[in-house]
Amino acid sequence: MEIFYFFAALALLGLAAYVLQIWAVRSCLMRKESCSPQSTIANQRLPEWHPVSILKPLKGLDDNLFDNLASFCTLDYPQYEIIFSLQDWNDPAHKVARKIKDKYPDKDISIIVERCNTGLNPKINNLLTAYKYSKYPYILISDSNVMVEDGYLKAIFRHMQNSDVGLVSNVIRGVRSRSIGSILENLHMNSFIVGSVCFLDRFLKMPCVVGKSMLMKKSDLEEIGGFEAVKDVLAEDYVIGKKMQKRGKKVILSNHLINNVNEYWGLKKFINRHTRWGKLRWKLGGAKYFSELLGNPVFLSCLPLIFCEATTAVLAFAVIVSLIKIIGDFYIGRITNADLNPIFYTLSPLKDLIIGIFWFIPLFSNKIVWRGNKYIIGKDTILTEYKNNRDASWRVRFVSMIRERFA
Amino acid sequence: MLLCDFHIHTKYSDGSVELRRAIDLFGQAGFDVIAITDHVVNGDNSIGKLAHKLRLSVTAKNFDEYIASIKDEAERAWNKYEMLVIPGVEITKNHLSTDKSAHILIIDIKEFIPACLNYEQIFLEAKRQDALVIACHPHHTSDISRDTLFLWNNRDKYAKYIDAWEIANRDDVFNVISLKKFPYIANSDFHRTRHLYSWKTLLNCDKTAASVKQCIKNNKGVAITIFRN
Repeated sequence: MEIFYFFAALALLGLAAYVLQIWAVRSCLMRKESCSPQSTIANQRLPEWHPVSILKPLKGLDDNLFDNLASFCTLDYPQYEIIFSLQDWNDPAHKVARKIKDKYPDKDISIIVERCNTGLNPKINNLLTAYKYSKYPYILISDSNVMVEDGYLKAIFRHMQNSDVGLVSNVIRGVRSRSIGSILENLHMNSFIVGSVCFLDRFLKMPCVVGKSMLMKKSDLEEIGGFEAVKDVLAEDYVIGKKMQKRGKKVILSNHLINNVNEYWGLKKFINRHTRWGKLRWKLGGAKYFSELLGNPVFLSCLPLIFCEATTAVLAFAVIVSLIKIIGDFYIGRITNADLNPIFYTLSPLKDLIIGIFWFIPLFSNKIVWRGNKYIIGKDTILTEYKNNRDASWRVRFVSMIRERFA
Repeated sequence: MLLCDFHIHTKYSDGSVELRRAIDLFGQAGFDVIAITDHVVNGDNSIGKLAHKLRLSVTAKNFDEYIASIKDEAERAWNKYEMLVIPGVEITKNHLSTDKSAHILIIDIKEFIPACLNYEQIFLEAKRQDALVIACHPHHTSDISRDTLFLWNNRDKYAKYIDAWEIANRDDVFNVISLKKFPYIANSDFHRTRHLYSWKTLLNCDKTAASVKQCIKNNKGVAITIFRN
């Protein structure tokens, strides 16, 4: 029974942390930004809308790609260019980008297809090319699975009126779930991810930049070493945010919600992404990674079912914690205007159990597969190429395994 | 080159995706031409009767509604994605023996064609409607339950009616079509979202139904590609 009390106490602690996360999300979204689209800074002067280069690294077909890209062609902003950057002429996204360019002939859209092997991070390779061709002093990095509203660019650019601001990122919500994988993904985006990002921003004042939307001044980026400085880093978004902060620049989390469209994900894709992200956080946070387990009260409340007898009390506790989590996730969904069907929230405990199980993998493996490439992830998420030496003798494999582990 | 798929099923028969979602799925992926081809199953045997009972077939009763829905969606697809959507059906003659079974795509169909007609009647009716006749998965496939060998076994008799043969269907490639030098196209036989990633046809012609049909019939400027993410 002591084991049960131990895990029950941890789960209750986790629930308390979760309540704080909900509070953080609420306060972040309800915050009246002096830079909200409706107001100018303290109504003192009209904002200056400097021209912006939107860099769109494309690789493969994301769900809803056509609409995602099209949403950037109707932005309510005086002057901006869109650069679709690809590494391969045969990439299926190339055809979609061309269709978008044809559909919006009056927009300043460029499609750049250029192979770049400067670094190991394929997104940075793609961005290096786009950056080279960008012509405006501000750049907005935007992932291809993001769909925005017309007022998005104005809403985030207002923060740039303050010269102390170095980077603006956004709160993200997962939308459009049509398969089990995408339901779980969007549940996780709209609970753990949004909760953690807002919690770090509001309570710990730590920048937690998610690379789906990053607005920067070119000169600021160059001061921290440009994209070359993160060319071999997996968590390039987080590291850029950290470097900006180190240089005394403010990193702002805009409460303008942007949509991450996840429609037809399989369970494997969901697990693969969160195992990768887990490895990334383990390498970045070290011991802090263990606190994540506390943020999963459902998993903690289910552990006594394994370690001690499944009594009515143990079961009832797990069910009550799961119900509280369902209600909490539903509430976050409501305040972020997520489009998840209310019935899907009942899958939230299942999602937490899966996440809890896969939480352990980063402790034992530092190999990742990202967009078809295999890497070894080291300290601060620095990537090295994964060399498959399956044919080598067991001694060679053993030594390289040890090397990789301590990379 | 136009990226095309002429073999797509929706919830009008045994597809798992609704018509509107299927159109969006292909539109979002940048396709230029697609044909919606739900099954019209023969009702003259127990397998066919079961399919009708389970509503896995377009029937004479709902054919007009089916075509009207495709036309509405075709207009939307053109306006939004500049994607040409052509109405079609897959005449499905299922029998217990794979040697007796045949599936035939009728592309750009205008009036209902019952699957229980004999082969000549079906082909002639399709020709009368100026529709395209395609032999589906005509040889052995990786999934034995999908084998439909009748047209291939009787090619000497029926090849003259067939405008093109599927040289590739989803993951299968039929080299016999190439060896016989028959006109060819490649399709996904789309039933589920994952089937988007499969064999496709590339056509070098204008984006109109007439040009597409002519290009397939002439079988010049036709290429096949495996569409992968």
